[in-house]
Amino acid sequence: MHDIINQLAVKREAANLGGGQKRIDAQHKKGKLTARERIEILLDPDSFEEWDMFKEHRCTDFGMADSKIPGDGVVTGYGTINGRLVFVFSQDFTVLGGSLSETHAEKICKVMDHAMKVGAPVIGLNDSGGARIQEGVASLGGYADVFQRNVMASGVVPQISMIMGPCAGGAVYSPAMTDFIFMVKDSSYMFVTGPEVVKTVTHEEVTAEELGGAVTHNTKSGVADLSFENDVEALAMLRRFMNFLPASNKEKAPVQPSLDPADRLDVSLDTLVPDNANKPYDMKELIIKVVDDSDFFELQPDYAKNILIGFGRMDGQTVGIVANQPLVLAGCLDIKSAIKAARFVRFCDAFNIPVVTFVDVPGFMPGTSQEYGGIIKHGAKLLYAYAECTVPKVTVITRKAYGGAYDVMSSKHLRGDVNFAWPSAEIAVMGPKGAVEIIFREEKNDPAKLAEREAEYKAKFANPFVAGARGFIDDVIMPSETRKRICRSLAMLRDKQLENPWRKHGNIPL
Amino acid sequence: MFNKILIANRGEIACRVIKTARKMGIKTVAVYSEADKDALHVELADEAVCIGPAPSKESYLVADKIIAACKQTGAEAVHPGYGFLSENSEFSRRLEEAGVKFIGPKHYSSSKMGDKIESKKLAQAAKVNTIPGYNAAISGPAEAVEIAKGIGYPVMIKASAGGGGKGLRVAFNDQEAFEGFASCVNEARNAFGDDRVFIEKYVLEPRHIEIQVLGDSFGNYVYLNERDCSIQRRHQKVIEEAPSPFVDSAMRRAMGEQAVALARAVNYESAGTVEFVVGADKSFYFLEMNTRLQVEHPVTEYITGLDLVELMIRVAAGEKLPLTQDDVKLNGWAMECRINAEDPFRGFLPSTGRLVKFQPPAEEAGHVRVDTGVYEGGEISMFYDSMIAKLIVHGATREQAIQRMRDALNGFVIRGISSNIPFQAALMQHPRFQSGHFNTGFIAEEYPKGFSPEMVPHDDPALLVSVAAYVHRSYVDRQASVSGQLPGHELRVGDAWVVVKVVEGGQNESHPVVVKGIPGGYEVEYKGEKYEILSGWKLGEALFRGTCNNEPICLQVERHRMKHRLFHWGTRQDFMVLTARAAELQALMPDKPKPDLSRFLLSPMPGLLREIAVRVGQEVKAGEKLAVIEAMKMENILKAEQDCVVSKVVAKAGDSLAVDEVIIEFK
Repeated sequence: MHDIINQLAVKREAANLGGGQKRIDAQHKKGKLTARERIEILLDPDSFEEWDMFKEHRCTDFGMADSKIPGDGVVTGYGTINGRLVFVFSQDFTVLGGSLSETHAEKICKVMDHAMKVGAPVIGLNDSGGARIQEGVASLGGYADVFQRNVMASGVVPQISMIMGPCAGGAVYSPAMTDFIFMVKDSSYMFVTGPEVVKTVTHEEVTAEELGGAVTHNTKSGVADLSFENDVEALAMLRRFMNFLPASNKEKAPVQPSLDPADRLDVSLDTLVPDNANKPYDMKELIIKVVDDSDFFELQPDYAKNILIGFGRMDGQTVGIVANQPLVLAGCLDIKSAIKAARFVRFCDAFNIPVVTFVDVPGFMPGTSQEYGGIIKHGAKLLYAYAECTVPKVTVITRKAYGGAYDVMSSKHLRGDVNFAWPSAEIAVMGPKGAVEIIFREEKNDPAKLAEREAEYKAKFANPFVAGARGFIDDVIMPSETRKRICRSLAMLRDKQLENPWRKHGNIPL
Repeated sequence: MFNKILIANRGEIACRVIKTARKMGIKTVAVYSEADKDALHVELADEAVCIGPAPSKESYLVADKIIAACKQTGAEAVHPGYGFLSENSEFSRRLEEAGVKFIGPKHYSSSKMGDKIESKKLAQAAKVNTIPGYNAAISGPAEAVEIAKGIGYPVMIKASAGGGGKGLRVAFNDQEAFEGFASCVNEARNAFGDDRVFIEKYVLEPRHIEIQVLGDSFGNYVYLNERDCSIQRRHQKVIEEAPSPFVDSAMRRAMGEQAVALARAVNYESAGTVEFVVGADKSFYFLEMNTRLQVEHPVTEYITGLDLVELMIRVAAGEKLPLTQDDVKLNGWAMECRINAEDPFRGFLPSTGRLVKFQPPAEEAGHVRVDTGVYEGGEISMFYDSMIAKLIVHGATREQAIQRMRDALNGFVIRGISSNIPFQAALMQHPRFQSGHFNTGFIAEEYPKGFSPEMVPHDDPALLVSVAAYVHRSYVDRQASVSGQLPGHELRVGDAWVVVKVVEGGQNESHPVVVKGIPGGYEVEYKGEKYEILSGWKLGEALFRGTCNNEPICLQVERHRMKHRLFHWGTRQDFMVLTARAAELQALMPDKPKPDLSRFLLSPMPGLLREIAVRVGQEVKAGEKLAVIEAMKMENILKAEQDCVVSKVVAKAGDSLAVDEVIIEFK
């Protein structure tokens, strides 16, 4: 017995060292922490319960029988973040480059299965060179087992991927199917095929960083949701992020009590919207002045900047915020922004997070690149997401709500629960100028007359009253009271019950 | 007394005049340009009249429109404030013809003083000390050089119609005199519509000290002591104080009596200011007389207990001055900081845009006064002066006034645009400023390469460390109150933390602390000392007010991801607060050098791109002009910092640029 306890201590020590001190030093030299160090920062102190520390691979080919390291390149288990349960797997680059073997995959699958069973989020800290090539198809099978579970867990428990090193080839498809992908600048990259293959096939010369670094995926591809300066910042921010999410689709969004009064007024918002309809303003100011404690956790801040998404809290409760950003492309909807917002709305809907939408949208972006790119189908994604969404939906139109984009942005017609408009709201089929040029086509050579018509149209439609008269707007509110009115609406909607008809699944235009 | 007056100005001065008028029971009329439709002075006045488009040339400077506004509203008098039409004698003459009183000197007084050449002759006649110089029209740059040589360098070239620092050049040699003359003439023509300039001896190590005078229509005159306005940046006043640390009572009387003599010489009926340049040997020379209310008049009001605007109105209404020279007091010490919308960390370039937050420190009767014309949610437009507020304090002594100013600056919250508050705070604690030994060259000498956050030492690091710990612990405690925790496994937040002071270049400093919750705040133990901090601060608030070991404290805090940025006494410092383990691991994180932006010419300010002076492929030498941006009425020339070759011109003339927008790329 004593002997066994001694052996245990030795084995633990070996497992804790992963690939050995030399590799740990190398990892540090790259500015990266080890798998276990990362868990230490992520989880509450002493809360980590590790599983399968002694698990080893079963491969014997290519001399692999001699290179067995307990844990097999991934540290798995559960723990708490602010006292709330999460499951974690953290790939260990010091062990065979964090490569994924059959057993490595089994460990990941085990925590995912448990997470599904008890209803708690899965956080993956990815740092892996890819498949364990020596294992061949067994490794590929391992990937697919994880993929299958990613899909089964989708919409059941939140899944978060933090890319903290390489993630290439088939490996990318596990994070791709999780809810959020975060990346660390300069030390992480994701791509399906690496720079060498790219060069051979397409003759493009590109570095790993340019092809799939944090900046690329946060600005160009939209694959990632956020990027961080280094491992410590990434994990500290992930702790903060997790406080917004419920543990599973069976829970309501969590509440973090706030001292910020729900009825707080902000008079400066009364001057946020400029008189000139063509002058932009920063929608983010509105969000920051409306949420609890000015705490807005923005996602994809550098991608499709014409729409803003992120989490905040209203009177303590998490809300998902979607807002057109007039500062960029006048806040219009295009392919990228529709996809960005649609996926976010669907996440909120899946996890019982109310959606607050701020609308200032002049319409969809015109042009061949948009049409050829399939704006019809991609724009429909956002429409679909809002329409199927059954969580509380509160909408505030701050200025323009034109055309089909008005319908899309959580309108009354898409089962918006409470739809407010500021006095500056203009709800119309299109802007006054465009409208009169069509309605009064025969007068198009008479600028004086056209200007008169435009003024007439403006007087009639450039206000919230026409929509209000039809009940499309529940009330016209002063900008300064926006927080109070949203908080009250959300309180009223707390026990909202709404179900979509049974079906296997809808067919969102992918 | 008048029933209704019109204020032909905008911004803080319009608001300030309205306040006094209201106190006196006089109705007020504001005038405003289209850009000022929602401005504070419009809100405060009983009536308001729109006088045209945003550019002042088409609104605030158009006498016809002001006179029409008087007619329209029945205003009996006009207070012109400062700037705009305040020293335009033609305007005051026309008002008089229209039967409207001008709250200021008579046109014959201001016209004599408005012309710098004539005013100097008058001063000489009134036995006021004057500086050697040339007082006639100058034909061209060549003649300017000859005159400058005659006087002896250095010389000053100045627009006759100029004011403040506009249209002023100093030349140390022939070439500078030649070039300075040309650009001075240009600027004078653009800014004032009058291209006459004059040249005079430039006094080295000069102080700028001015005497406030007051006269009425009965020939009574008093001087209200001096103001020291020596703290200037590029000839623009930054800090003003009264009295001057340099002036003794004999000198005060001598300057005051000369100032009154000059006022008497032109039958001056109103408040006016006689400016002197003062040498290190206490010699003083007349510079010019400002025939209007000065920006810095509140410091005089503090030490004398008078309301200058009220006195101006009373005199204009034909009343007698209610005091004689013997009644003039000099109580304590007053100081004024001009709060400008400019970025001290980017060469004081103008900053425009929306005032996302604007919370001035609370006014305290007799101690702290805030004169402003803006409000939270308002817009700082590029059309007008960058001064958005004046912070004025009073203390029994100069030391106390400085202390009050430092505290008040700590509590002045401005977000959305940049302000010079950090710079003002730095000046307030500069030993040379505190000693009172300075001249108008102070800022140029002490900050030759501009101003950066690192230049401001903080003499109470423990305070910063403990407040950072307080703020972080508040956030962590709040996060730990989240619902849905595992019963029996809730997070108990630890007390041991490490406050990491973030220093560029990987020189972070770690400060271990123990942070314990106490009623109303936290107790922070740092280096064996205990700091009991009590505060009503709430998460997300910029202003952190409270007490530290029962001493009042006031800082500003911002959270940027995992960093807490603290602002205090002009210092701006980032801190991370980590568990001991996280701090250990943080030390392993690489220090990432800031990206190299030298390949780009970035817009240093929001503004209008007037001109691109280079083309693709052009080789440019360091110092050559690259582009011109217009902001806040000023043309800013962007020059090459090093020799380079233009590879791409990204922006084009006419573009309106945001801060850091790329204009040109280099190879």
